[in-house]
Formats: sequence, C-alpha cells, structure tokens
Amino acid sequence: MEVIESAYLDEKIETVRGIDFLQYRSQDLPTWCPGCGYFGIVDAFYKACRELNLKQENIVTVSGIGCSGRTPIFINSYGFHTLHGRSIPVASGLKLAREDLTVFAVAGDGDALGIGGGHLPHVARKNINITFLLFDNSIYGLTKGQSSSTTPYEMRTNSHPVGNPDTPLNPVKLALAYGASFVARGYAGDPRGLKQIIKEATLHQGFSFVQILTPCVTFDKENKTWKNLKEKVHDLNLRNEEKNMETAMRMAENEPYGVGTFFQDKERPHYQEILRNLNKAD
Amino acid sequence: MKDINIVIEICGSAGEGTISAGEITSRFMSSQGFEIMSFDSYPAEIRGFGKCVAHTRISSRQIYSPGKLADVLIALNDKHAISQLSTLKENGILIYDSQPARPHKEDESVAGWAKPGMISYGIPLNMLAHKASGNARGMNMVALGALAALFYVDKSPFTDSIKTRYAKKKQIVIDSNVNSFLEGYNWTKENIKKIDPHSFKDITLPKPKEKLIINGNQLVARAALDADLSFYAGYPITPATKIMEILSRELPKHGGVLLQTEDEISAIGAVIGAGFGGKRAMTATSGPGFALMTEFTGLSVMAEVPAVIINSQRAGPSTGIPTKTEQSDFNSAVLGGTGDCPRIVLAPADTKSCYEATVLALYLAEKYQTLVVVLLDFFLSNSIRNINIPEKPSSEYLDANIAPDKNDFKDYQRYKITKNGISPRAIPGTPGGMFFSTGLEHDAYGRPNYSEAGHTAMTQKRFAKFNTVLTEAPAPEISANDRDEFDIGVISWGSSAGAAHEAVMSAQKEGINASSFSSMMLSPFPEKALIDFSDKCKKILIPELNFSGQFAGFATRILKRSVERLNFITGRPMASEDILQKMREM
Repeated sequence: MEVIESAYLDEKIETVRGIDFLQYRSQDLPTWCPGCGYFGIVDAFYKACRELNLKQENIVTVSGIGCSGRTPIFINSYGFHTLHGRSIPVASGLKLAREDLTVFAVAGDGDALGIGGGHLPHVARKNINITFLLFDNSIYGLTKGQSSSTTPYEMRTNSHPVGNPDTPLNPVKLALAYGASFVARGYAGDPRGLKQIIKEATLHQGFSFVQILTPCVTFDKENKTWKNLKEKVHDLNLRNEEKNMETAMRMAENEPYGVGTFFQDKERPHYQEILRNLNKAD
Repeated sequence: MKDINIVIEICGSAGEGTISAGEITSRFMSSQGFEIMSFDSYPAEIRGFGKCVAHTRISSRQIYSPGKLADVLIALNDKHAISQLSTLKENGILIYDSQPARPHKEDESVAGWAKPGMISYGIPLNMLAHKASGNARGMNMVALGALAALFYVDKSPFTDSIKTRYAKKKQIVIDSNVNSFLEGYNWTKENIKKIDPHSFKDITLPKPKEKLIINGNQLVARAALDADLSFYAGYPITPATKIMEILSRELPKHGGVLLQTEDEISAIGAVIGAGFGGKRAMTATSGPGFALMTEFTGLSVMAEVPAVIINSQRAGPSTGIPTKTEQSDFNSAVLGGTGDCPRIVLAPADTKSCYEATVLALYLAEKYQTLVVVLLDFFLSNSIRNINIPEKPSSEYLDANIAPDKNDFKDYQRYKITKNGISPRAIPGTPGGMFFSTGLEHDAYGRPNYSEAGHTAMTQKRFAKFNTVLTEAPAPEISANDRDEFDIGVISWGSSAGAAHEAVMSAQKEGINASSFSSMMLSPFPEKALIDFSDKCKKILIPELNFSGQFAGFATRILKRSVERLNFITGRPMASEDILQKMREM
C-alpha cells in the first residue's frame, strides 16, 4: 500500500517539476489563508519571471511586514523580509549598489501607504529602477482586521467597529502625482492579466508601480470580497496608453476597479542613468 | 630649547573673518612644524551677527586636548569678546581695536573689562584695515600681523600662508589681505612696547613631514573611500553633514553611488539593502537621526547584514543643541533598540583614530555581518589637527566577506550555526546560494522559526561573534602600564580620552601616581582589561561629557565598585585642566 502511494506521489512530483515556471516557487508552503488572493499574485509572478527568462539567482524580492511580507519566502530566489513599511528603501539601496540584479519591492496597503507612505513619493521622483508590487486588500490582515489607508469610509473593522472615520487613499492617483514613470493596476483574480502587467513593469526602466486588487478572505466580508471583485473589476484596455497624464488621472479618479497600465514614460532616464549623466557633465 | 604651548582665541561676529583667521594661523603654525589643534564655535543660525570663536592650541610637543583657557584673545568684536574674557587666563594677553569705527562708550570696550594682571595691547585694527584696503574687511589680517609682530613670528612665511588660503580668489583679494597683515605687523613693531613673555624667536623645529590638516568628518570620508566604500545614503544633520557632502563629490569618482534620502530611516534602509547586495555601505548621522534608525539597527543584527553608521553626537535629547559637543549617546549606541541585540560600537579618541575606526568599522561589519556604530562627537567632527598622512588599509581589510564554498552549497544554510558565529554569506547573483533573510527569528536556512531551542541557538550564535571581535580591535590604551599600583586610575572614552591622558601626565609631574585607560572598542567592551586595570587602582575617576555618567554606569556594572565621576554638559570639549583639578581633590 505504502509502496504504491509513494510511486504515485513520485510521479506527481515529477509532473509538477515539469512545469517550468515552478522553478521560481520555493519548497516552503505558503502561510496564507486558503482562498487568499496572494496565491494568484505569486502565480502571476512566477509566470512573469519564467516568460522574462530571469535567472533565479539574479532576482531579489524585498518585502515589508504583513501577509505580503511573507512573499519572498515562497519565491525560489534571493529574498529579504525587512521592516514594516521599509521595503522601498532597502530595495532602492540594493538596486543602486547592484544594478545587475532584478529587484522587486513588495508591500501591503498598510506597509506601503500607512507606515511606509513617506518613501513612495521619493522613490517615484528619483525614478529608481525597481518594480513595486502593492498587494492592496484594504485591511490589516496579519494583525486581524484593522482599518488601513485604503479601507473604505464608514466600513466596520476591528479598529473601527462603528465605521472607519478616515477617507481612503487612491494609490494609483498618488503614484501618478508622485511622478512614477510606470503606473498600473492588476487583479489577483486574473493571474494571466496580472502576469502581463508584472512583465511590463519589470521591463520598464525606472520606477514601476503596480497596485494589485486582492481580497482578504478572512477579515473583509464586505468590501474587496471575491464576489465583489469579480463583479466590479474590468479591463480598461489602457495598455498602450503612454505619457497621457490627463487620461491617466481621470481614469484613476473614476475607475477604482479598472485594471491596466495607466501611465508609462519610457524616455525618462532612471536614477543611475541620471547620476551617470550628471557626473559625466561635471 | 624653549617649549611653545599657547592657546590663541580669535573672537568676532559671524562674517568678520574670525574662522578664516584661525584657519590661517593653524596652517601657518603647522607648516612651521608645530602641533596644532583648533576648534571653532559658531551659532547654529546661518544669518545674523552671532559670536564666533576660533580656538587654536599651538605646541612644540605632542598635544592631546584643545586647552581650556586661552593665553591670547584677539577681539575683532568688543561686544562678543567681553563675554569671551572669562576663558582668558589671568595673565592672558588681549589684543583689541584701539580706534573702532564708532567710538565706544565707557563699558563697551573689551579693554575696560580686562582684569588686572591681563596685558592689553591696543591696535587700531579698523583704521589700519582701511589704510591697507579701503575697508574694514582686513581687520582679521591686521590682527594676525599684530600677533606675528608681538611674538617675533617670521612675517614672510606667514604671508605665504595667507596667499595660499586665498589662492583661488582674485589678485585684489590676496593683495588686500597681505597688505592688511603687513600694516598690522609694521604698526605694531613701531608702536607697541612688548611686556609679555611669549616669543617664537629662537624656536626652530625640524622641518615637518607633509601633514594633513584635517578634521574628523573629512578623515571619516577619506577612510571610507580608502576602504572601498561603494554606497552611501544619508540625510543632512549637524554635525555629520560634511561627510555626505565630501562623499557626494568623491564617491562617484570611485565608482560608488551616493543617495540623499527622504529621512534617516530610508538612509539606513538603503545601506542595509546595499549591504545585502554584498557592497560596502554606510551612513552618517547624529542623535536624532540615529534614533530614527534604531529599528533598522536591529534588522542589521538579526538578518546579519553589514551596516555602518557614523553617529556624531551633539548635545541634549531631542533636537538638543546641534552645534555643541557632548558624549550622551553612549547608551543609545551601545544599549539602544529592542531585544538582545549585540552590535559593535567603536569610539575613536582623537582625530587620527577617526580614520582607523572607519576602516575597522567597514571591515568588521563585512566580516561579522552585523551593525557597526562609530561614535564621533561635534568636537571630533569639527576640530582640526595636523596629522601624518594615514597609511592606506592593507588588502585583508578590504575584502573580508567569508563566502560559502562548494561544500556549503550542497545544502546551503545561510545562518549555519558555527563556533565563531559567522556563517558563510552568499551574495545575490551567486547560483546555488539563494536564501531568504528575515527580521523574524529563523532557522539555519533563514526560514521563520520561533522554537525555544531555535531562538536560544540563534541568539547564542549572534553573541558568539563578540568572542573574536575583540581580538581584531586595538587594545585599550593604558599609560604607565608597567607599574603595579596607582592611586588614581582615570578611565575615559571617545574624545575625552585625550584630555584624560594629558591630565594624567600632568598629575604624574605633580607626584600623583596615576594612570589612564581608554578603549576604542565600546561594544563588545574589553572587560577583562578594564577589571585588571581597576584592580591596580585605589581610586577610579571617570570623566565624560554627559550629565548622568552613562559610561560610568556601564563601567560600574563591570567593575562592581564605586567610581568617582566627573561630568560636564557645557557643550565644550573635555579640558585636561578640569580632570587634573579633580585628581588633586581626590
């Protein structure tokens, strides 16, 4: 009996190993809740890496604290789980010191827009060549359901049981206003579309900002639920829009559930190019 | 041969060339083979007419502290100089303007406030400056001319130093400065009858080797470049800003990158990012910035990523007094932060050790994969010494990472438990070395692990590094170590160590059997050496520039005996005179 089971498992393992994008998946089992949107995000991430043919040892994923902070554990490459809100500074220093690496910074909504909100404008205006993935589920999950910077007004949470008194931030609008040279939104429930966006963001030379709409299946039963997201998320067909700030801003304001690439400036040099040019001119 | 050991203070209003006059004097005296130590004080505000003092000690012998009281006070501004008279020696010399542009009322002239016993020389500084160049700007040079004439200093090498100082300026600027100097010199020779004993006349020192005239901040930057720094991130803060400004220009020439960040949190974050990437990285800050960096210091220790922080201490908690010196960040550097967090802390005792400490910091951080803090202070950052050109670090100090080998890669454990606590570290980009780092407690692979045994083993591993770090640091400096017993042992750290050493030397001359102990290494601390020293001493004195005796408290815990404390928070550097006085009273 045991022998048969083992042979069956070995065969299954071989089949799984044959799926080439899984080389980017680590052997550690994710600690996320069953049904979490983050499974869709890392799935899209593995496939984007595969299609871009990135060497695993040249990828570094830097994260902050929260459920999203665990992401690097589940990626088979170099990874660094840092402090709450600080994936951007660490990823920036790493990229500036090691231009040869492909550096991703990962953060949740509390991470990126709450405690670490002060870093976003500066990495964007400096145009440091990293890809920033914002896992936005509009709730603090790891601390069990408190309001975050993107929790809707009046929504009941564990920190605001009678309703959230704060007006939520609009991440795409912020990124545009801060001068990010690549701004996109994806959806955890559409790994194929998200993979495409992550690929574009990674190829973009400069700071790429990707907001990813995703549910917290455990602590949010009314806002970004799978049901609501499935209904509301739609493709804006914006992928070919470039350098049109006016359209991008309007879409960011009016289409909170629209996915696509809102803005891209391909001409703007990234930070290291700027430094090289300035030092050459001096 | 007669010794020279003299302190000159030039006091004026911001914008009157007070600091430049001090700088020229220092450079000139250094070129003549004297030891110099100079220290300027000026207001924190950029504009306005605040009081500036250029303090310079000149000596024909080795000196260790800036000297508390002045032998000579040059008053470019009477109002400010009146308040500076308190630091002029009882028999000190006052050089003042005898014909100010606006005649003084009775109590407005500094000469009127000079105490009996002081010698006052009135020189028409303003008038002579006008005569030389048509305006009052050359008053500082007239005063230097008077100084040279009074003390029999050769005028021609002195004018060369003035020319060098203004070499990049227009000829008219050079000429008017030199002319002002000569007006002052000639007028004084003709009109002043010298009654003080100071003279440089028969002093001939051996031709000096080429010297660097440099402050601690400049040396830190130079050392970092020599030690292959490739990344610097920082945020402006007095008194550390100059390090960033120098590296901003120099680091790109060495192929490095400088990043001015939005705050200190981001600065240390970026340094840790670059360190994770295998590059040598550092930041420099002061107390308030260091406080912001605290959470990241824990990450550097926990995730075992090299990081170097230069912390130049200023006075007080919170914003405190940005332009005054103090040694009150001992606790925050050595003990601050969360959890059991072993970090390396170095405190250079003088300007030239700022170089050594910086090289050592970058080396130790890389080799031991941890945080190294270098504690400077406002005085070390800004005081100027003439030192021999430091020797560049040897190759072993430049490449210290212990990399994994083929065997390690068979089952790579980034945080492998080893005897000395150092686990071979793979650098991103290395195939087979892929790992995950976290600020969470973790197992040998880096995966989160909160087990009792795991946390204990990893904590022990992080502390195990301390056992060997001490063998790589310079041993404590102990004077008269060959003797078996001392009446007084003076234990000091950082920039107070020079004054302590000098006080002990003076005390010995007075027949007090004393010795001094100081260690550049604050964490881990050479506890055994401290205890051995203490065992030889009947009494222990610990002088430091803070109110609560932060280091004294630390040392008391190690020594388990009571110690005498001597604490100052005047914002001025430690004075050997004060330590000596305390020793006499003990």
